[in-house]
Amino acid sequence: MDRPESVSELADALRQGGYLADRGLATALFVAFRMHRPVLLEGEVGVGKTEVAKVLAAIFGRRLIRLQCYEGIEVNQALYEWDYARQMLHIRALSQQQIADPDAVDKLFGPKFLLERPLLEAVRAGDGAVLLIDEVDRADDEFEAFLLEVLSDFQISIPEIGTIKADSPPLVILTSNRTRELHDALKRRCLYHWIGYPAPDRETEIVLLKEPGVGEALTRKVVAAVNRLRELDLAKPPGVAETIDWARTLHFLGETDLGQAAASDTLGAVVKERDDLELVRDNLADITSGG
Amino acid sequence: MAERDRIVRLLVRFGSELRAAGLAVGSGDIMSYCAAMTELDPADLADLYWAGRTVLVCRRDDIAGYDRVFRRFFLGDDDQVAELLRLNAAAASQVSQSALVIPATDPGSDEPGEEAVLGLMASGAETLRHKSFAACTPDELAAVRRIMARIRLTPPQRRTRRTRPARRGSVPDLRRIVRRSMRMHGEPAELCWRGRKVRPRPLILILDVSGSMADYSRNLLQFAYSARRAAARVEVFCFGTRLTRITRELDHRRPDDALARAARTVFDWEGGTRIGASLESFVREWGRRGLCRGGIVVICSDGLDRGDPATLAAAMERLARLSYRIIWLNPHKGTDPAFRPSTLGMIVAAPHVHLLLSGHDLASLEELAALLPSLN
Repeated sequence: MDRPESVSELADALRQGGYLADRGLATALFVAFRMHRPVLLEGEVGVGKTEVAKVLAAIFGRRLIRLQCYEGIEVNQALYEWDYARQMLHIRALSQQQIADPDAVDKLFGPKFLLERPLLEAVRAGDGAVLLIDEVDRADDEFEAFLLEVLSDFQISIPEIGTIKADSPPLVILTSNRTRELHDALKRRCLYHWIGYPAPDRETEIVLLKEPGVGEALTRKVVAAVNRLRELDLAKPPGVAETIDWARTLHFLGETDLGQAAASDTLGAVVKERDDLELVRDNLADITSGG
Repeated sequence: MAERDRIVRLLVRFGSELRAAGLAVGSGDIMSYCAAMTELDPADLADLYWAGRTVLVCRRDDIAGYDRVFRRFFLGDDDQVAELLRLNAAAASQVSQSALVIPATDPGSDEPGEEAVLGLMASGAETLRHKSFAACTPDELAAVRRIMARIRLTPPQRRTRRTRPARRGSVPDLRRIVRRSMRMHGEPAELCWRGRKVRPRPLILILDVSGSMADYSRNLLQFAYSARRAAARVEVFCFGTRLTRITRELDHRRPDDALARAARTVFDWEGGTRIGASLESFVREWGRRGLCRGGIVVICSDGLDRGDPATLAAAMERLARLSYRIIWLNPHKGTDPAFRPSTLGMIVAAPHVHLLLSGHDLASLEELAALLPSLN
């Protein structure tokens, strides 16, 4: 498939790729496809923000280009860099062989010595790629301003080579965990979608899709328990990824039911904070009861 | 064609309704919305809703407002409960406004001429410096604020992962080496280095605005405003019974406007105090997301907590682990060097506080400003 024709078609394709998207997310992605706009996905940890980019790349046969952001990321690491070591060796080789080439310097700053980094790679690849800019909130705000420039016209100028422009821009997905508020200008440039926790039925469906081996009864119990955990006011409420992990762990241990003992033994798969663990252990009977 | 016109008109009207409800919706956004709807089915309510939400809303906090307007506009649903809530909120903000009077820093028209004021201020500056905020008259407070605006806060520096050219450093600067060696016919004659950059640590101010602190907190708000203007990475929160973030409200050019806006946002002026619960919600909602990681947290409160001391102890412990240094300003400390915290809240918090200052007058705030850079 090249590009989706309707929202429902996109949702179906995602489902076949192993990702259950609700109407809102599917609409946001569809609009992004048609209007060539980046999508900014925000949401709690572990609700599948990164996953959606991977699945999109897989189902549309595009290359996934990932730019993982971190504090102190620099333009060189996102855009391009000259391969200085090779340039230096090349210069040495030229001078040792006494080759007088008038174009030597030009060649030195040619495509041969250019190291492509994710953003340049994505602009070159155009609509043959899905560009995932992951955890953009971790990069510093100067980097954001730079991203803004690239995302607005998908055009990169390299002084020594010229301007490289994407004929049709790649699909861009940005994710943020909201460790800090992103700049409004960047948000304006993007479509925005907040991914919340899925409803219990959908979450059950997601777990079954990801881990077909786990029985439905057990899955329902796990999902119900996780939903109760989310109500508990934990410091770090479990995401969908944790639900899947928990179901997988229980299944791996050969459990078919979520009893108190089994839950207590495998709690490390869902609750990953000491204070939370104490709170959960006190309420374990409540959490595992019912389905 | 006429059909399309009608739809566009409708969408534009919807956009202005959203704007009236306080969402930042520009014409460009409405154009995008219309463009999105040409790809979708305008007769489908779900498409209308989701396309609008993804294009027009760019902040999670705005989603509720969008939902309300959408419901009213497209479903003709006058949500009584929501209306009631809004009225309540409006009433509450009126109350808090009347409870909070911040004397303006701009001298009014009935005040003496500029020169007279300046003269008075200069002579009074030294006395003002050591006069407790609680004992100042409104005019003196206005003067104090003007002096306060000149205090520059420079948080200590931390090293970042970024590098910059340096005389001596840890990483060879290949880019410069290559450029220079081209000048020397490819002979790398000289080694250049890059060193790690430094940047100021974030500064987080958490101000107590409860009844027992009211005389001081107004001035601290001004202090927060000046701090926010001086350094980029400053976050400001207020609390009485609950925590409110006022960083955005303080981003206003005119100090009086900024303070008035911040005051409107805070609902619990001069109410009770729940330090523990407020700090806990700070840690939970902001601290854990990395807002105060490696930062300096300045808490200003007298430690009169009406909540459970265990909550405060736990919150302080987590805060101490999340941040770099915690400074506590307690106006009751005054200038007494032998001051020992006597309130339960202060005793509980003390083990996690690196520095206890008073912050009750100008001199003590200047002391804080002077101490900040040396906290590394």
